[in-house]
This record gives sequence, structure tokens and C-alpha cells, in this order.
Amino acid sequence: MAFDDPLDRPRAAGGRAPDVFRRGGWVPMREYRDSEPVDFVIVGTGAGAGTLACRLAEQGFSVVALDAGAYFRPLEDFASDESEQTKLYWTDDRIVDGDNPLQMGSNNSGKAVGGSTVHFAMVSLRFRPEWFKSRTLLGYGADWPIDWREMWHYYAEVEDALKISGPVTYPWGTKRPRYPYRAHPLNAAARVLAKGCEAMGISWTETPLATLSAPRGLAHPCVYRGFCVTGCSTNAKQSVLVTWLPRALASGAEVRDLAMVGRIDTGSDGLATGVHYHRAGQWRFQRARNVVVAGYAIETPRLLLNSANDQFPDGIANSSGLVGKNLMVQSNQAVWGTMEDEVRSYKGPPSLAITEHWNYDDDKDFFGGYAYMSQGPLPQLWANTQLGAHGLWGEQLMTAMKDYNHVAGLKIVGETMPQERNCVTLADEVDQYGLRIPRITFSLCDNDKKLIDHSLSFMGQALSAAGARNIWAQEDDTCHLNGTARMGDDPRRSVVDADCRSWDIPNLWICDGSVFPTVGGVNPSLTIQAIACRTADRIHQMARRGELERLPAARPRRVLTPSA
Amino acid sequence: MKRQSLFLLCAGIGAGAVTLALSRRQPAPPANRIPARRDLSNTPQHSSGTVRAARRLNRAAGLLATSVLADSGVEHYRGSFKNRAMFTPLIVSGATLAISAHGTADMRPAAHRVRDVTYALAAVTGLVGTGFHFYNVGRKLGGFSWQNLFYGAPLGAPMAILLSGLIGFSSERLRESQPDEQQGPEIFDLPAGRMLAAVISVGLLGTTAEAALLHFRGAYHNPAMYLPVTLPPIGALLMAQVCVGTRTRHVAARNWMWLLVAMGFAGSGFHAYGISRNMGGFANWSQNILAGPPLPAPPSFSGLALAGLACIDLVREHPDA
Amino acid sequence: MRDPTRHKPADRYPGYDVLSKRNGPSWNDKTRRVVDQRLSIDDEPRFFAADEFALVQAVAALIAPQPAHRPMIPVAGLVDAKLHRGESDGFRAPNMPRERDAWTRGLAAIEAEARRAHGRGFCELTKSEQIDLLEKMQNGELHDAAWGEMPPQAFWKHRLSHDIVMAYYAHPTAWSEIGWGGPASPRGYVRLDFNDRDSWEAAEAGSSDGDNVRRINRGIR
Ligand SMILES: Cc1cc2nc3c(=O)[nH]c(=O)nc-3n(C[C@H](O)[C@H](O)[C@H](O)COP(=O)(O)OP(=O)(O)OC[C@H]3O[C@@H](n4cnc5c(N)ncnc54)[C@H](O)[C@@H]3O)c2cc1C
Ligand code: SF4
Repeated sequence: MAFDDPLDRPRAAGGRAPDVFRRGGWVPMREYRDSEPVDFVIVGTGAGAGTLACRLAEQGFSVVALDAGAYFRPLEDFASDESEQTKLYWTDDRIVDGDNPLQMGSNNSGKAVGGSTVHFAMVSLRFRPEWFKSRTLLGYGADWPIDWREMWHYYAEVEDALKISGPVTYPWGTKRPRYPYRAHPLNAAARVLAKGCEAMGISWTETPLATLSAPRGLAHPCVYRGFCVTGCSTNAKQSVLVTWLPRALASGAEVRDLAMVGRIDTGSDGLATGVHYHRAGQWRFQRARNVVVAGYAIETPRLLLNSANDQFPDGIANSSGLVGKNLMVQSNQAVWGTMEDEVRSYKGPPSLAITEHWNYDDDKDFFGGYAYMSQGPLPQLWANTQLGAHGLWGEQLMTAMKDYNHVAGLKIVGETMPQERNCVTLADEVDQYGLRIPRITFSLCDNDKKLIDHSLSFMGQALSAAGARNIWAQEDDTCHLNGTARMGDDPRRSVVDADCRSWDIPNLWICDGSVFPTVGGVNPSLTIQAIACRTADRIHQMARRGELERLPAARPRRVLTPSA
Repeated sequence: MKRQSLFLLCAGIGAGAVTLALSRRQPAPPANRIPARRDLSNTPQHSSGTVRAARRLNRAAGLLATSVLADSGVEHYRGSFKNRAMFTPLIVSGATLAISAHGTADMRPAAHRVRDVTYALAAVTGLVGTGFHFYNVGRKLGGFSWQNLFYGAPLGAPMAILLSGLIGFSSERLRESQPDEQQGPEIFDLPAGRMLAAVISVGLLGTTAEAALLHFRGAYHNPAMYLPVTLPPIGALLMAQVCVGTRTRHVAARNWMWLLVAMGFAGSGFHAYGISRNMGGFANWSQNILAGPPLPAPPSFSGLALAGLACIDLVREHPDA
Repeated sequence: MRDPTRHKPADRYPGYDVLSKRNGPSWNDKTRRVVDQRLSIDDEPRFFAADEFALVQAVAALIAPQPAHRPMIPVAGLVDAKLHRGESDGFRAPNMPRERDAWTRGLAAIEAEARRAHGRGFCELTKSEQIDLLEKMQNGELHDAAWGEMPPQAFWKHRLSHDIVMAYYAHPTAWSEIGWGGPASPRGYVRLDFNDRDSWEAAEAGSSDGDNVRRINRGIR
């Protein structure tokens, strides 16, 4: 066989899917016909979708998950190369505007089986319990319709499923169980953060990471190669691709790669009937009893809006008018400096040390919180930061780049406030499939700016206390996308309920980062996966009680206990 | 540097194997050598069992030294020999290994000055090394935090060369002690067997603590990782019984020591398997020998258990010992 | 930005070449294939016209001036190859054309600005005139009709300087220059602390003797 390019034609076909743990390997995969209504068709295979697909399949539902991206085998398909690995990013055309236009692409969205978790930085944090009721308890944002104690249970499930490696005891917040694997060794970049925290008198710890500090099955432990955000070629990274999806396949789910969903159809009864998707050069229609949308906070509202029809002229599931609204990113500002010592921050996962101090301190003059972490940019990313954020080019850039091995940085993941003016709408231009492309509008509010200022000034002092010189602030970055189909208690003010079920179309579900009412000051993927686990359990319960449209009460047919 | 450490590793393992092999061949006592310290007039009365026990202790000390030689070679290479002192355990354990081989082959019932000095040096090195490692960990940011206990200088490791030195030194004392009808062999005026049993019991516990810490770092991801933290403490208990008990036959302790000998060597096998599970396996040895589980560490259990066997025999032959 | 108190030689990593690790355990087949392909790109345009290409070369020499002690990186060729493949960043401002159109229009506008200000093409300008023009672009002080709707600053920020710098640092020669470890799979790293260097990483020439560093770097595999 000629060299098999996963971007060229679908790999998951003919009764088999790629075995991510073996070069050239395959695992058997159950397949469903387009005309056969499956219990659940899921759009996406990322943090929300992949987790849900696994848990639903393990409960015995028939599941088909479609992803626009390719099905990679990391061991053989991933190069140690920043440019090559842009193949993991969602780089279809998107328009960005507002006061602070977002950088998309490599910066925050993925297109691959496994979703953005294939190239995420693996930071796996729990929300602070109060954030689930931030309106009531802290006076800002919106309350979640879910209780934190329930989330604590699901967080533990996800942490175990991903064998998170973390500190023996976590310094902040409510007690949590011990992380399944031990923390990784700190690199010098992380020690800079630690030094700074000690000098400033605040706590720090090893970052809980979804990468293995010991072997697990066929996955190798981390080799500290530092290419995490360009894709992990050792399978140490516990992405959805190597955790939930193999389990999903083993339980009878079907995954279709290179399958772009363009539209969800609804019937005369107002229920969803299935999805139109483009695969191998043609449009097809998969019938389904339930449709789950989990394409991340840009593609999810885009698909709902693009599915507008006579019955739902403003897009489906949009009676509240909130589909696409309240887009929240996380601020991702940084301070950078040079150390006399060699740091060589390219070694190891980029963010080995963290402080959540400012997430748990309520004595601030702004709402929300932030965590900050050590950094390890690879050369292209670092050069681009020096150019774009520091404004260096020519000889100045070349000279600055020579200090690459001495650079240390601290970067926040900061909470931004939900604002209706920050939104995803449809532009008039169309993409390669003929679908209208998203327009992403984003502006920081005053509170967001206060938070950023606070963080930059604090981190500047910390970095200087750690011994760095020539310190400068990177003021322009953001990361993560959430909130464009928020969950809530009130159908007029939210798109889905606590079970991620659309208020308008009871057999339509949204299960990804879009459902967040607030983002908190920690990276979102652990929470997305915990919500997916909860949603799966809720679906299981409702199906048993016969509360689901189109799913006879007899289902699920077989119940598998999730394997550990 | 890379080749150097590989060479040391191989040399260490090779030398250890030679020690064991020599001990089986029971070579004839070298003729015409003037014994170092004692006049041999009472040689005939000297229990041949005592010499045998002493030689077996030499062998045990040698195995421990082999483990230290290879382990500190790898670990200090990983630490880039940043400090000259990091060569010390290599030199000392190398020397300990050599004199242990010599002692294992030596049938004479007398101590040997070079061996004595070397063993004493090994014990001191172990103490100083432990001090160094404590200093290093304490000095690191975070002090005695889990992070530094896991990844800083291993606190317990230098104890292995201390144990090797102690056991070797005891072996020399054993050789020169003169048991008679009333009194068994002695070490520092204490009954040799019992005193050794105590050292071995404590040594087993210490080595267990080291394994427990590092296997906790590995999150006990493989059930076999529980073996070296459950079997040796039982061995330590049995040796404690040898130390204070009144019985002389200690069948359980003997069998358990053989189990630990086997466990130690099997441990290296498990660690080799562990290395093969790292990215690139043995083809990527330049990383994985350093990053994977330490190949040479587990046989230190075997070394202690061999010493335990020698000590059990001693107690059997000299119930008062 | 550089600290004047630290005296570092111009060639910080003498003798270091990440490519010397190509056949060792730090590179896997996929990486070798990808980098080989990149190294086969030369300074020959496939997307740009010849005069456009010369202009890109001239601009690249200003934005990413190359050190004399390393082989030249065909920056313009790399930019050209990316456009030829049709790769996109995945986002743009509403008044920015897509990648290829932005480049074509931007280059034409630079040429028009040069002729309007100096009566000569950009390549014929003196270096300081060229730099002056680039700075004006950066500051939004150019207004020729050739820009159309596209803001000159946006072209500078998101296309011209961005694509050139990304192309430059996609090249192994640039990696060697800054002492980066380069590709690292299956073999990653072991020694992670301050001033720790695995034997397969570049040694930095500091105050210590450069010949020794060169010898170490030459021996890296
Ligand atoms: C560089 C980077 C670093 C990050 N680091 C961290 C981190 O350290 N910790 C953390 O918690 N989070 C991190 N994140 C964020 C995290 O990856 C995302 O928040 C999370 O993966 C989002 O999950 P999701 O299910 O909403 O969407 P995704 O995981 O993005 O999955 C969406 C999937 O849906 C597919 N899709 C979308 N639309 C369609 C369609 N119409 N048809 C078919 N398929 C479609 C996409 O191809 C994609 O695979 C990082 C993100 C990036 C980019
Ligand atoms: S540092 Fe670890 S997690 Fe990151 S890419 Fe390398 S092996 Fe994977």
C-alpha cells in the first residue's frame, strides 16, 4: 500500500479503525448504515464528544461520532516539528473582529479525531466549588445549574480515566482525592515559577497534568520532549484519542473521520432527525434518534445557526436567542524575562508548575480569578511572540532569539466575564464545503482588563524576584473558548438544561465547552469531560425511566460496566 | 561520558557475576601467604564453618557493592558528575567489589588489612554520602517535599554501600574471632550471628523504604511493584527473630531469604521490562537507562538476603552466636 | 533587550548542528521525512512571480537578517512553498483577504509605495529607505490605493513579518543558531534542571573556552 495519509481519505472504514497504540495497527469497529437511525449521532470527537461517546456506548446505546478531522496514529503520524503539526488545528476560514480580535487556529481549536485534546497542554484542573454559583456566592457571572459536590464525583472519575499525574496533596480549596499518578519532575522553567512564588510568599505546586509519569498499558510514559501543544508522539498525553475513544470503539461505537457535519435536520414534530455530513467527496445523511453537538464553542453555535430552517429561522435550539452569545475566552497574558542560568524550557511539558493563589483569594478589586503557570515555547512560537507581542524584528529579533535557552515566562489562565456582545455569528462568505463561515466578535470588558493588569504586575514582581532580568509583558494573548450555548435553569436565559439537553428540541444535546455559564480561572477540559460523564449518567437514568423521546424505555439494551 | 558509564555498568554487572561464580568454585587457599594480623597457631581449632560464613558475607557485600557501583554510576552520570565527589561511590564500591571477590576466595581464618580498611571506607562513604544526599535535597527549593524526595538525590541509596561495608567488616571480624566450646564467634564482643541479623533486618527495612518511595513515585502501576515493599519487611521480621530468638533452625527465615534473593534478581528483570515500556525501548537506551526504573537497584535485596543466609547458618552452627 | 553586562560570542553554539542528530534516536521517520522535504525547498518561486519573489527576498533579509557563520536559509522559498500548498492560519480580520490574495496585494502595494516615494522599486532602495518604508507600514502611515481595503499594519502583522519569521524558524539552521534541541522523539530529555544539559543537547559558549564547546557540539548525535 502506498503511504497512507490520514488527511487524504478516511481511515475509520471497512469495519476497522486505526489502533492508536500500534504503528500501522487496526482495531475492529462496528459500523452503522446511514439509513439506520442510531440512538445517538455525535458531532465531534473531542473532550465533550469523545467522553460522551464512550460512556453512552458503554451503556449499550448505538453511537456514531463524526469528526471533520483526521484519525492519527501518534506514534507514526506525528513529527517533532511545529510547522508540520499545524495539521492538528482547525484552520478553516474564520473572521475575527471586536476590540480584541481573537487569534484562532493553532492558538485554540483543534480538528482531529480527539479534538483539541490532541494538542492541548494537558493542564487538568478542577473548578473552585464556589464558581458553580458565582452569581450567588461571588456576585458576578451566572450560576451553573449543577452542584459542585456532584461535579467533585465526576472530576474524580475523569482524573482516574486519564491517570492524571499530580501533587500528593493539592494546596488549594476543598479536599480532593489523591491524583492517580505522581507529579512529574520539575524543569528549570517550573523552578523559576516556584522561586518567584516562594519569594512572594504564596503557594505553588506541580501542575496536575494529563500525561503519564509511569507506563499505562501500551502508552509510554512522558519523555519530556516538550512538543505537547504540537501533538504527543509517545501517547503519554492522555488525550481523548488514546483514552475515551479506544474504550468507545471497544464498546461498539463507530467513529467517522474526515466527516464534516454541515446541518442538523428537524422533522415536523420539531425533533431532530439526523445530520447531513460531508465525507469522501459527498454529502450524506445519518439518521438518528438523538443528536449531540460537541464541536467546541465556535463550531457548535455555527452548526446550530447554519441549521436554521422554516420552523427555526434563527437557528435551531435558539428560542432564547443565546446561541453564539456569551463567548468567553481565557486571558492568557504573560511576563517573560531572561535568566543568567540556562533554562532550556523546551524540555518537558510546558506548564509543570502552577499557582492558583489568585483563584482562591477574594480580596481583589475585580471579579474572577486566575492561575499562572510556567511556560516552554518552541522556537516558532517563541519567535512569533517576540515579533507579535514584543514588536522585535530585524537584528533586534535575531539577537533576542539567541537568549532562547535562557528565557523563562509566567502565563495566566484568567477568567473573563460572560458578555452578550462577545459572540459567534455567521458571515456571508462560505468555506470549502459551501457552509457559511463564523464571525467571532470579542472585546475585553473593564473587569477583564483589571484582572489582566493585576496578573501582569504580580507576575512581573515574581519573575524579577526569581532572578530574571529584561522582563517584559505579553499583553495580547487569549486561550480556550467557552460559553456559546450556556446551560441554566431558565429556558429564556439558557440554551440547554443541566443535563446538556436543549430546552427547545428535547432530542438535541450540546455537550462541550459551549455550555459553560462562566469559565473560572482554570483550563476547561477536565470540567468538559466531567460534564460529559454526568450527561451520560443522566441520559442513562432518563432512558431507563422512558423519559427520552424516540428512545423506548427498554433501552439501553445491554449495560457494560465501564472498565477501569 | 556516555560510553564511560555504560562501561562501568557492564563492568559492575560482570564483576558481580564473577564474585558469585568464584564463590561456587571454592578455590584452594592460597599457599605461603603470611596472614595479615593473627598468628595461625590455633587455626585447627577455628571452625571451618566460621570461615565459610565469613566468605559468604564477603560475597553478599560484593553483590551489594555491585549494585551500588552500577546504580551510582548510572545515577551520577545522570547528574553529569557535576561534583567531583560524585565519583567517590564508584571508586569505593569498585574497590569493595574487588576485595569482596578476594575475600570470597580467601579460605584463611584471618582478617585482611586491605579488606578491613576498604570495608571501613565503604561504610564511611555510605554515611558521608547519605549526609551529602540529605544536604542536597534539603537545599533544593521546597526542601524535603515529595518532588525532591522523588527526583532529587535519593536519600536511602548511599545506605547500600554502608551496608556493604558493615557486612564486609563483620565478615573480617568473624574470621578473626576464635570460637571455642563455650563461646561462638563474636564481632566486637557481641555474638556475631545475632548482631549481623540485626544489621540485616534494619538494612532490609531501609531498602524497603527506598523501594516504597520510588514505587510510590511510579504509582504502583504494576501489581508486582508491591513485592519489594511487602516481602522484605517480613524478612526483616524473621531476621529480627533470628537476632533475639532462642531457636537455632530458622527454616522459615532461610526460605524467606532465598525468596528475597530471587526477588532481587527478578526485580532487575521487571525493571528491564519497565525500561522496554518507555518510548523507544532499549533502542533509546541513552534516555531510558536513565529515565526508566533503575536496572541495578533491586539486587541490593539479594545481597542483603545472601548475608542473611550466611548469618542464619552461623547461628545454626553456633547457637550462642 | 540584551543585557550589556553579559558578553556572549556572536556564535553562541559553535559547531552545533541539529541535523547531526538526524540519524540518531532523537528523530523518527516521520520527522525525517518532513524535514527532508523542507530542506529540499530552494529559493525558486512556484507561487510568486519572479519580481514578487525578489521583493520577498529583499524584505526577508531585513526582517530576518541571517548570520554570516551559518548557511543561508531560503526564507522566501519557504514562504512561497507554504502559499503554494495553500495553508492558512485559520483566521483573519474582516477586511483582510485570504492568505494568497493578501500577499499578492501587499507586495504590489509595497512596490507602489516605493515608486511613489522614491521613484524606484523596493529592491533598488537603500537599506535605510527600505527599513523606513517597513516602519511606516507598521505604523499605518502608508495610504497608496494599491492596499485596497487591507490595512497596511494588518498586512505587516499577520502576513509579511509573521510568515517570514515563521518560515525562518521552521528551518534547522535557525534551530542550531539558537541552541534548541530540535526534534525529540523517540528520545526526549532526562536532565531538566537549571544548567542541566543532556549529552545530546547543544553546549553554550560562555566565558569558558569555545574550542571545547565546539568539540562537544561536533560530537552530538
Ligand atoms: C494549544 C492549546 C492548549 C490547550 N491546553 C489546555 C490545557 O492545558 N488544559 C485544558 O483543560 N484545556 C486546554 N486547551 C483547551 C481544550 O483543548 C479544549 O477546551 C477542549 O478540548 C474543548 O473540548 P470540546 O469538546 O469543547 O471541543 P474539542 O475538543 O475541540 O472537540 C471538537 C471536535 O469537533 C470537531 N468538529 C467541530 N465541528 C464539527 C463539524 N461541524 N463536523 C464534524 N466535526 C466537527 C472538531 O474537529 C473537533 O475535533 C488547550 C487548547 C489549545 C488549543
Ligand atoms: S513532553 Fe511528554 S506529554 Fe509532552 S509531547 Fe513529550 S512525551 Fe508527550
